[in-house]
Amino acid sequence: MKITADQIKNIAKHDLRHELKQRLKNKDNRLGLVTSIDGEQVLTLVLDCADKTAELWQSDLEGASEYPAVSPVVPQAHWFERRLKDLFHIEPTGHPRLKSTFTENAFDGNLAPLALDQNKKAPGPRDFSYLKVEGKGVYELPVGPVHAGIIEPGHFRLSCQGEVIQNLELKLGYLHRGVEKRLTEIPWKLSRHLCEQAASDTAAANALANAIALEALLEIEISETARRARTIALEIERLAMHIADVGGMAVDLGIAAEASTLSRLRGQALRMAELLSGSRFLKGFICPGGINVNSDFAGERTRIALKSLHAELSPALYEVLHTFTDNTYVQERLENTGKIPHSLAEEFGLVGPAARASGIAYDTRTTFNQGLYKDILLEPALEKSGDALARTLVRVKEIETSITILEKLLEESLDEAASAVALPESLKANSFGVAIVEAFRGELIHLIATDSDGAIVRYVIKDPSLNNWTAMAIAVRNELIADFPVCNKSFSLSYSGHDL
Amino acid sequence: MLKSLVRIIKAGTATQKEILPDQSPESRGLPAVNRDAWENRDRERGYDWTKLCPTGAITVRQSDSKDELDLDLDLGRCIACGLCPDISPEGIIEKNLSTKTAVKNRRDLILSTGQPKEKTSQNPAPPQAKENIFQGSVAIRVVSTGCSACDLEVSAAFNPIFDMERFGIQLVASPRLADILMVTGPVGKGMQKALMRTYEAMPEPRLVIAVGSCAISGGMHGEKNYASTGGVDAILPVDAYVPGCPPHPWSIIHAVMTVMDHKQLSK
Ligand code: SF4
Repeated sequence: MKITADQIKNIAKHDLRHELKQRLKNKDNRLGLVTSIDGEQVLTLVLDCADKTAELWQSDLEGASEYPAVSPVVPQAHWFERRLKDLFHIEPTGHPRLKSTFTENAFDGNLAPLALDQNKKAPGPRDFSYLKVEGKGVYELPVGPVHAGIIEPGHFRLSCQGEVIQNLELKLGYLHRGVEKRLTEIPWKLSRHLCEQAASDTAAANALANAIALEALLEIEISETARRARTIALEIERLAMHIADVGGMAVDLGIAAEASTLSRLRGQALRMAELLSGSRFLKGFICPGGINVNSDFAGERTRIALKSLHAELSPALYEVLHTFTDNTYVQERLENTGKIPHSLAEEFGLVGPAARASGIAYDTRTTFNQGLYKDILLEPALEKSGDALARTLVRVKEIETSITILEKLLEESLDEAASAVALPESLKANSFGVAIVEAFRGELIHLIATDSDGAIVRYVIKDPSLNNWTAMAIAVRNELIADFPVCNKSFSLSYSGHDL
Repeated sequence: MLKSLVRIIKAGTATQKEILPDQSPESRGLPAVNRDAWENRDRERGYDWTKLCPTGAITVRQSDSKDELDLDLDLGRCIACGLCPDISPEGIIEKNLSTKTAVKNRRDLILSTGQPKEKTSQNPAPPQAKENIFQGSVAIRVVSTGCSACDLEVSAAFNPIFDMERFGIQLVASPRLADILMVTGPVGKGMQKALMRTYEAMPEPRLVIAVGSCAISGGMHGEKNYASTGGVDAILPVDAYVPGCPPHPWSIIHAVMTVMDHKQLSK
């Protein structure tokens, strides 16, 4: 959707916290993100799920660099506000814990990469402290940044007493690569390639969000078939990654037979991606104006090949997933492990499978992307117990819905999908393009701001993981150290998407 | 239990028998330069199409020897977007589906219409050319500094389909046990220290493989920005490079074969 300058609501910085709290009292409203364009203001995106609209609030900092923090009354804003300090030197005063989201010593203390005023001195040093847990027999267990397997880096500091975790401190930021800044430096037509690399396991969703936000600023509509092709891509990505996540759970639980079958079946899902797009990660497929395929792309041939692979994959998947979830050992191990109650999930604004596992019926496919999913996706997959089992079961259900959605979408011809709409040369000036996409981890938001020449001055990517990292840290409290990997895996969070 | 057994037996062997096969025809593969097409090109047409490459991997320059133009395509920067094989006139750029894409020398990633380079031998030896001591088996430690696509493909190389372990290649959980360090991603400033410490913790001799275009050149992140260094070889000696975004699991296996100087499979 597009938001023009005159549609922006100005809210005085002192009123922001109360306005937001007031607004969020209505459960249909959600906090999309809090950020800034260049450090001179605070920008708040508020979503209205009932009206399927979004509102953008601007709070001018009046030449100062601080404002009263929102987090004390709206806890879910706390991570966004930490980033405001790192990226812009904005100081949310009264923030309960303004820890840096960067890694220690990686950058100059005065660096505020996205601030307009590059000479602005930091108000104080960045805070890299860990919360200290004291008491008899308490010890600290550091894990990472480089992990034992093949995964992205991040540091976990566990304070334990005996075998029980008392507190987990997260330190992320190892993968901060300056993605958002670079997105304002490269031509907008190329931005999709870098967006895909914000987190490549979410490549299709990121490219889709990029395309939707840019199309809003270009004021163009794309063809129905192209939309269908994009939805197919998004669902293949969800399928492949959910299979990988459930398979990863099987690995951590030591169930080798199911783990190995799932990794083989994930290969088939990637093969579907390759048939559709030429890339196992669907890279370079979704673009502003439609989809991007080579000139030899044959819609009908692709559709038939996808259909037959789909027909082969689905019964095999049903069988192995049910063997896995029917296993009483799996159930007992995951039940009550890493619990996030409904109230906490709400307070921290969780998204994606983690939210739905705690009974929050929020799936942006039904709330914001109706066009793509109308008549196909009716109900979000829901569980109530909020534990690792619930999160696994939500993924299993979503694998099944993705299979069904794909079956329906593959019924109609893809022949016209490749004809992309011609793109205007420039983006609408002084406007914001907003895209909300349900990635496999949950609500993904891209927000693009243009200046008076239509050049991109700010590109915001809000990965679903940003909402959920805190919940993971809370979920492991009072769990056994041995259950930490399982808890962590059940959230399946992105480091690169968070760090950017 | 019984169900799982029946499934496994029914599924048979999933592992691919053919070693280092080409990628499937639907795949985008990597670009390759067709010299003949370049020589016979229509010179009136201009070279604007080369500027469309998202990472600026294609350049046209004055030839070293004759009064001619040469085209260079740097696979180390290419993110395999599939554009140039499609838009280059007269098939100057073709699609290359081979998975044998790893090289030991950074310069071998630059495909050029210029003088045929005597492969590798003309170039200075790779920084750490070592005796071929890792003949039988090697242990790998992976350090990710990127967006996870390359990591997922390295993991996939160990799955039942590609099964890298059958070649004596093992993944280890500690740098102390590792012979090869595989690095993915553009090595942001936040990861430099952890990467160096991993490297220093490895016993010698040790080898480094840069996986994917970010690890080779920074890829879409650019050569240098405030947060990243633009590739592993800015801070570590690299023994093999695998281009791609991400490289195919077979190409990753090929990279290991290459640094091991495997008699048949490193070719
Ligand atoms: S395939 Fe590679 S070289 Fe060709 S245009 Fe795309 S990124 Fe550039």
